[in-house]
Amino acid sequence: MSSPILRPDDATRRGFFAGAGLRAGAIAMGMLGASRPVAAASTSTGLVNPPLPGFPHHKPTAKALIYLHMNGAPSQIDTWDYKPVLKEYFNKDLPESVRRGQRLSTMTSGQQRFPVAPSKFTFKRSGKCGTWANTDILPYTARIVDDITVIKTVNTNAINHDPACTFVMTGSEVPGKASIGSWLAYGLGSESNNLPAFVVFTPRFPDGSNGQALFTRMWSSGFLPSSYNGVALRGSGDPVLYLRNPEGVEPTDRRAMLDTLGGLNTIAANRYHDPEIQNRINQYEMAYRMQASVPELTDLSNEPQHILDMYGPAVKNPGSFAHSAIMARRLVERGVRVVQLLHRGWDQHGNLPRELGNQCKDTDQPTAALVTDLKQRGLLDETLVVWGGEFGRTVYSQGTLTADTYGRDHHPRNFCMWMAGGGIKAGHTYGQTDDFSYNIDKDPVHINDLNATILHCLGIDHERFAFKFQGLDQRLTGVESQKVITGLLA
Amino acid sequence: MPARAIVALFGALLLLGQSRADDVSFNRDIRPILSEYCLACHGTGKQVAKLRLDQPEGARKGGKSGVSAIVAGKPAQSELIKRLHTDVETERMPPASTKKSLSQREKDLLNSWIAAGAPYEGHWSFEPLKTVAVPAGEGHPIDRFLQARLKERKLDFQPEASREILIRRVAFTLTGLPPTVAEVDQFLADRAAGAYERMVERYFASPRHGEEMARHWLDIARYADTHGLHLDNERQMWAYRDWVVGAFNRNLSFDKFTIDQLAGDLVPGSTLDQQVATGFSRCNVTTGEGGSISDEWVYRNAVERASTVYTAWLGLTGGCAQCHDHKFDPITSRDFYSMYAFFHSAADPPLDGNALLTAPTVKLETAELKARRAALATELAAQEAKRDAASHSAVYVDPATLPGAGKASVTEEIWFDDVFPTGRVFASPGHPTKYVDAKTGKVLSGSKALHRIDTGLAQDVIEGMPARTIPQGAKLFAHVYIDPVNKPKTLMLQYFKGNWLHRAVWGNYDAIQWGAPGTTEKVNAGPLPAVGQWVRIEIEASKLGLKPGDQVTGFAMTQFGGSVYWDKAGISGTSDPSGNPSLSLRAWWNGQKGKNQPGVKEPLAGWIKAGPEARKNPVEIAQVRDYFVGQVWEGASAELKAFRAKAGELSASLAKIDADAPGTFIYKDLDQPRQSFVMMRGQYDKPGDKVDPNSPAFLPPLGVKDRRANRLDLAQWLVSPQQSLVPRVVVNRFWQQIFGIGLVKSSGDFGTQGDLPSHPGLLDWLATDFRDRGWNVRDLLRSMVNSRAFRQSSQASTELWAQDAENRLLARGPRMRLDAEQVRDNAIFVGGLARLDLGGRGTMPYQPPNIWEPVGFTGSNTRMYQQSKGDALYRRSLYVFIKRTAPAPFMSNFDAPNRETACARRERSNTPLQALQLMNDVQHVEAARGLAAHVIAGAPDAASRVRLTWRTVLSRAPEPAEEKAVLVFLERMRARYAADAASAGKLVRTGESAVPAGIPEPELAAYTMVANLVLNLDETINRN
Repeated sequence: MSSPILRPDDATRRGFFAGAGLRAGAIAMGMLGASRPVAAASTSTGLVNPPLPGFPHHKPTAKALIYLHMNGAPSQIDTWDYKPVLKEYFNKDLPESVRRGQRLSTMTSGQQRFPVAPSKFTFKRSGKCGTWANTDILPYTARIVDDITVIKTVNTNAINHDPACTFVMTGSEVPGKASIGSWLAYGLGSESNNLPAFVVFTPRFPDGSNGQALFTRMWSSGFLPSSYNGVALRGSGDPVLYLRNPEGVEPTDRRAMLDTLGGLNTIAANRYHDPEIQNRINQYEMAYRMQASVPELTDLSNEPQHILDMYGPAVKNPGSFAHSAIMARRLVERGVRVVQLLHRGWDQHGNLPRELGNQCKDTDQPTAALVTDLKQRGLLDETLVVWGGEFGRTVYSQGTLTADTYGRDHHPRNFCMWMAGGGIKAGHTYGQTDDFSYNIDKDPVHINDLNATILHCLGIDHERFAFKFQGLDQRLTGVESQKVITGLLA
Repeated sequence: MPARAIVALFGALLLLGQSRADDVSFNRDIRPILSEYCLACHGTGKQVAKLRLDQPEGARKGGKSGVSAIVAGKPAQSELIKRLHTDVETERMPPASTKKSLSQREKDLLNSWIAAGAPYEGHWSFEPLKTVAVPAGEGHPIDRFLQARLKERKLDFQPEASREILIRRVAFTLTGLPPTVAEVDQFLADRAAGAYERMVERYFASPRHGEEMARHWLDIARYADTHGLHLDNERQMWAYRDWVVGAFNRNLSFDKFTIDQLAGDLVPGSTLDQQVATGFSRCNVTTGEGGSISDEWVYRNAVERASTVYTAWLGLTGGCAQCHDHKFDPITSRDFYSMYAFFHSAADPPLDGNALLTAPTVKLETAELKARRAALATELAAQEAKRDAASHSAVYVDPATLPGAGKASVTEEIWFDDVFPTGRVFASPGHPTKYVDAKTGKVLSGSKALHRIDTGLAQDVIEGMPARTIPQGAKLFAHVYIDPVNKPKTLMLQYFKGNWLHRAVWGNYDAIQWGAPGTTEKVNAGPLPAVGQWVRIEIEASKLGLKPGDQVTGFAMTQFGGSVYWDKAGISGTSDPSGNPSLSLRAWWNGQKGKNQPGVKEPLAGWIKAGPEARKNPVEIAQVRDYFVGQVWEGASAELKAFRAKAGELSASLAKIDADAPGTFIYKDLDQPRQSFVMMRGQYDKPGDKVDPNSPAFLPPLGVKDRRANRLDLAQWLVSPQQSLVPRVVVNRFWQQIFGIGLVKSSGDFGTQGDLPSHPGLLDWLATDFRDRGWNVRDLLRSMVNSRAFRQSSQASTELWAQDAENRLLARGPRMRLDAEQVRDNAIFVGGLARLDLGGRGTMPYQPPNIWEPVGFTGSNTRMYQQSKGDALYRRSLYVFIKRTAPAPFMSNFDAPNRETACARRERSNTPLQALQLMNDVQHVEAARGLAAHVIAGAPDAASRVRLTWRTVLSRAPEPAEEKAVLVFLERMRARYAADAASAGKLVRTGESAVPAGIPEPELAAYTMVANLVLNLDETINRN
């Protein structure tokens, strides 16, 4: 006999199921794709998008992830890494013993001087835990420090926006890899039968800010099946693309059309016996359900006034950060696995104090409201919230330094992020940097470590979470050694 | 094993045959096990405990313990087997840390293999092509190979599909479009033998064929219309895309196709066409992000290009060897960097400059350009004649000849007022220049001013104007009028003296990021001037590093955002008219001495260059004087200046035609090649051993000795008769295109981690035939499309679908969902909207709002989607503008790749987002209305209209049950819209094409819903 056989490992891979398993007669479909087989697991859970077999690997501390990505890189020195000693170094050169000839972006590598720019903001010990917070521009977040863990020692490989954003979201600087939201949707499926597993918002940002680009690859499924792409919920037009019937077509018309379509497709199914036809019939029914469920989702009329007030006045403007924040809560409430908000404009090479203030004005109140809102509903216990950018900023000023203003260049060696809920310590800070916030003194957290920790909270062992592509076991956390940061876990 | 996996595995084994213990194949059964569990530590790269298992000698010798890992014929004595089963955890393999363990079946296979003598084989795809005996039987070898396998499974081909199914299948396969009703009728009417083959040839002959073929190749070539990183600005290289279309339409053989794209510039007598083809290696994503490190991007661009050659021709994933020796394939880092070395000396800059055309590029020539050039030249000659006549009759006295010559006075010289001087005048790409007059805007001086409304950085520029000398005490100025309700962030004046690094900035100093702050490259000239009035903005030339005597040949007026009128720009200074070359003939002529005079005809140019002392002949002196007065003298009359300006404008337009002529990226090498090294762990700044351009060591040798190999050597090697891997990879991809799945399913991975061929004999036969008969693509496709396998019906029993879900055995005809482009093209084609012109810049069809805008970089020229109008809305999807960071949703919804990297195989997903798109996207609804109008006009009653709808979309008549169901739906919609004409009116007004007159709107709306229904049928979006 000369026939090749499928390798045994194929049979355990989704790629095989995508065809054979499903075509072999399974009826239910993935929320966003045919790729998810449905056998015993799903009929027992009633989920159309169940977890992969064997998932989660261990008991999760979070069911859902809300990732607040501050795109452009917020300055750690002006937000969470308080450095009082810098006042003495105003406009003095950064000591060579600190800089140690490290790589600089070519935007400042030609600078003659590297004058230290202390933060001009007021920091106060906040909450019961006493975490230092910038109370000038983050007054609301300062009030929830007892619910969060600030990490001061996040670090990354990349020094420019494009590769750094790609890295923070996909674990690789090179385009083409799967994003963290797609990984989670792939592994854990969705608890919702009529909303996507992975939802993305790209809210508006202040007009005057320097908006770096976003890339769909930051929420793309990469090499994973395309049905795990993040679905953008949009601030204007249809919240989900093509959701609305054309003008002059009512839901009853659509229902009548779908009834006829289903009948005709069934005739075709009986003629060809291609199981994909039945799959398509089901996808059309899912589409019809989404036409009802998404408007319900975006209808805020039932939210109590005091909740809306908590998010601030912009909450009723679709496309604002505040509106996206309350939508994030409503989505995880409805069983969506991952919600990502990508807010732009945090790239302060110049005019940092003013522009950073504008950025915070846009986001501080709704961010704190989101954590508080989740907490009061008991959702924070099962939802992991992550806040942060793609790298940090330099302690020395880029361009003109005066008493009132300064700018900061890119700094990948250490920056701040914070996490809340879903198994993370509350009222805690983690890691320590030197007096210049230029090098890590203690407890570094590489982006791959951070992602491993996020996966861990969601019940996944990152080392066993792989997808074969281009001859390699691809992982979100890369091929180097990386670890779950247990010091962050409650 | 989960229950699902058991079911699936059972299906797989049933289908493709269980290996028996006495029939273990190393490549099929054993290598995958070793790859998966062992070779990461005991392979080509690492050899933990000095053991390697990828070769028989290593396995026999064993590791540092000296115990044989494999004793041929004796599993029980083989350490490898013992280590699988031992209870001692520290000795058990694979180690617990890998979190991997072998299944019982895998253990049994290893056992059987060792028992059978543990025969190793080379990896199948690297072995020479085997001469395979074609199995006995009738028909084309393709069918005989396939049938032999089917017979083993006690299966056979299905009967031939109906002619209606066949023509639609062929038309989509070869042209990406459905057949017209007339084409269907022609085929049905042809009852003579060979009708099918004749039908096939008609589609081969269609220009649409090249478009469909190109689409697949462009996924490999990662072609797109933007740079892909950071700003993601537009890049112009659609000529490359059109070259690919043309290459397939003229059936360029695949060897030439390969050579032209990889080395068209090195072919002796290289044509423009061949240079355009080299754009293949310029299609990679690039960046122009500020702060990027050049060395890193030289490295990354070369890595990307080498990886693409690996994927496209070798079917291997070379990218892994970028960091380390490939764990599973024999590709070493040295192999990878030897390929990289071919591309490491690229002449293009590491950073793309965010430019539309990043050098090296070539300009394209078209008939339209030639005609416009000729017309302008005629007009220019007429204006020049007027100017020259006026200058000849003008009265001119050289101030140098007057008494009192040599005294200084303040003068002002205008460089822009209504017109720019002669030179290359242009604006930032995507931000066209706009002139206003007193009626349409604000004008300070003359009859016109510039007006610019913008959101980001934009400028009007002149380069290559006649040199202007900086006088003593010079001030550079322009006049601006700022719209009070829309203020810019920043205004900037910029000057060219050898470079553009002379800038003065008013307003926000940081908005424009050019120039080193605090230097003459970026001078802070103060706050924004007053708004709502004309203001002169002025800066001392010395502050910009421009000294008296310096010569300026260009300037730019720039703003960041806002609404600004610009007028009357120039220079003031103190000068002596007798020494001022704009006023004194002698001063000017002296200044021209020894200089070439571009654009001036001989012998006049020579006389000017020789200087005033050399000229004695009064006729010659008079001609030089006429030239000066006509073209240089600032004191000329308004009339003469107007002629001069008009001529200047025309010659600038003429220059602009050439400057604006479309160009395309081409590939070239630096004159001096860069030295290449293995880069340790894939880091751009960690060079290891030196490497030269070469082919991978595990494939046939490149055969270049005593000189540095170049890309032409590489290209010729790829398509040389000694190649086995390349023809396998190439025919497999074409097979995938025709049958929906490759004989090797992982068409982008022919390495040890890839899939094995379902029909190894057939693959080798096809590859040999293709290679040895001149790489003739069309012959290859023809043999596939004409095969019985392709022509059989795709209707099959439920059992067969369950057994062979992917149709690897071809026991039924291929049935697959249309690709993204085909889905859209089908709708606009049957809706009568499609425009089928070939080539040109990418088009921007309907797209929901806010796809580009929320992600676009503030300064990007592709931040705002500018939807096309009219016919351009309905061009084929091949020509849709591809912005890499925000691909069109109607494409990505249906699995079109975003073209960031080479894509050898698309997925075919089935999602609710697709359903929403097909039901509601304006493109599909408008197409439905077009189809509705077509059938209402084309048939007299409801039943015949439904039948015509069916025939137009599906090439067949509806069955009675189908017809009945649709008629019921139609009646319901007619009643509904008859009662609600307002809704009918809204529905039929979807889209921008005109609503056909003469059809009652409720009737049109009802048929539009029927057409929308039919365009959503599963059968419609499949080729059946």
